[in-house]
Amino acid sequence: MSLTDTAIASKEARSLDPAAMLEQLRAAAVTHVVTVPDTHQKSLLALLAEEGDPALVTVCTEDEAIGVAAGLWAGGARPVLLIQNAGLFASMNSLRGISLDGRVPTCMLVGEYLRDPAVPSRRNAARVVHLTEPTLDVWGVPYHRLEQDEDLAVIPAAYEQAMRERGPVVLLVGAPTAAR
Amino acid sequence: MSGAPSTGMLRTQAVAAVAAARGRCLSISTMQATAAWVACGQADERNVNLLGSMGSASAIGLGLAVARPEEQVMVLDGDGSLLMQLGSLVSIADRQPRNLYHLVFENGVYETSGAQPVPGAGRADLCAMARAAGYAQVARYRTPAEITAGLPSVLAAPGPALVSLVISGQGEVDRSAAPDLPDFGTQLANLRSSLTGSAA
Repeated sequence: MSLTDTAIASKEARSLDPAAMLEQLRAAAVTHVVTVPDTHQKSLLALLAEEGDPALVTVCTEDEAIGVAAGLWAGGARPVLLIQNAGLFASMNSLRGISLDGRVPTCMLVGEYLRDPAVPSRRNAARVVHLTEPTLDVWGVPYHRLEQDEDLAVIPAAYEQAMRERGPVVLLVGAPTAAR
Repeated sequence: MSGAPSTGMLRTQAVAAVAAARGRCLSISTMQATAAWVACGQADERNVNLLGSMGSASAIGLGLAVARPEEQVMVLDGDGSLLMQLGSLVSIADRQPRNLYHLVFENGVYETSGAQPVPGAGRADLCAMARAAGYAQVARYRTPAEITAGLPSVLAAPGPALVSLVISGQGEVDRSAAPDLPDFGTQLANLRSSLTGSAA
């Protein structure tokens, strides 16, 4: 197998188990998943739509998603966002105004659309991928990586980090969720 | 206010009439209505003033309404604010929260930046947009008397409702009686604590 073949095989093989992600969301006692749908996480979205727990709330923009999640939190619920990297960039003013300045716990699953999973995020060709981590660093937003199923156990801890630190915590979904 | 409607009421009059109808509603106030709302004694533990994130009041109201279906939620929005997240009309209508009442103070301008007209001032119809999006109720009031006569009936019926309040001027806000309030994040956390009985 050539190096190119190996890279392709690695890219094809790497995916995340949507059922295991759902299990971790439930372990985090998440009540609502607020989403502008993400290509990377489409099988998780399909599973959430089937299961109904946590409840799926689909909105039009990622700015709105951060606001809706803040309202859910104020009402005593435990929401998580499920969006795409391009949507993270679209939501930056609400991320600043609500999650950072307003100190609202905001745990976010952010799919790395256009990411080649075989290549580290910062070395991907697409700006929407390689600018994500540096942007979060500049903004002081903590993040964790979900690259393989073994990483999924961090979800409840990341959720509690957002609650404890009263701010945003991003879970970068570096591989697509597997077809079901 | 060159973009302001030629007919309508003073904002202070509108706010006073809305405050009289509020009852036990949770409220999210933003932008132009906030100072008058606070001066009317509405900045209690069931109210949050959103500052620093223009456009997000309706989204926060939607989340609150979904989390607390047993409560009525009143959003005091501005036309410029709503235009920043106009998709929220569709998101709200999609969810059909029966307990969400979305009041929009339509003065036709971006007031704090120098009263530039908002896009569509005098042309775009927010009530028609809300109706087309799927809101259960829409209403437009041009006088305090219309608010007093109409708003209680709106609040007595299921939402989501959009109520346009046509504002032609600011009125005088007596800020001397306004309390010193904590920042937005603290107000939101305090609301959460009061609703859940636990610290944020």
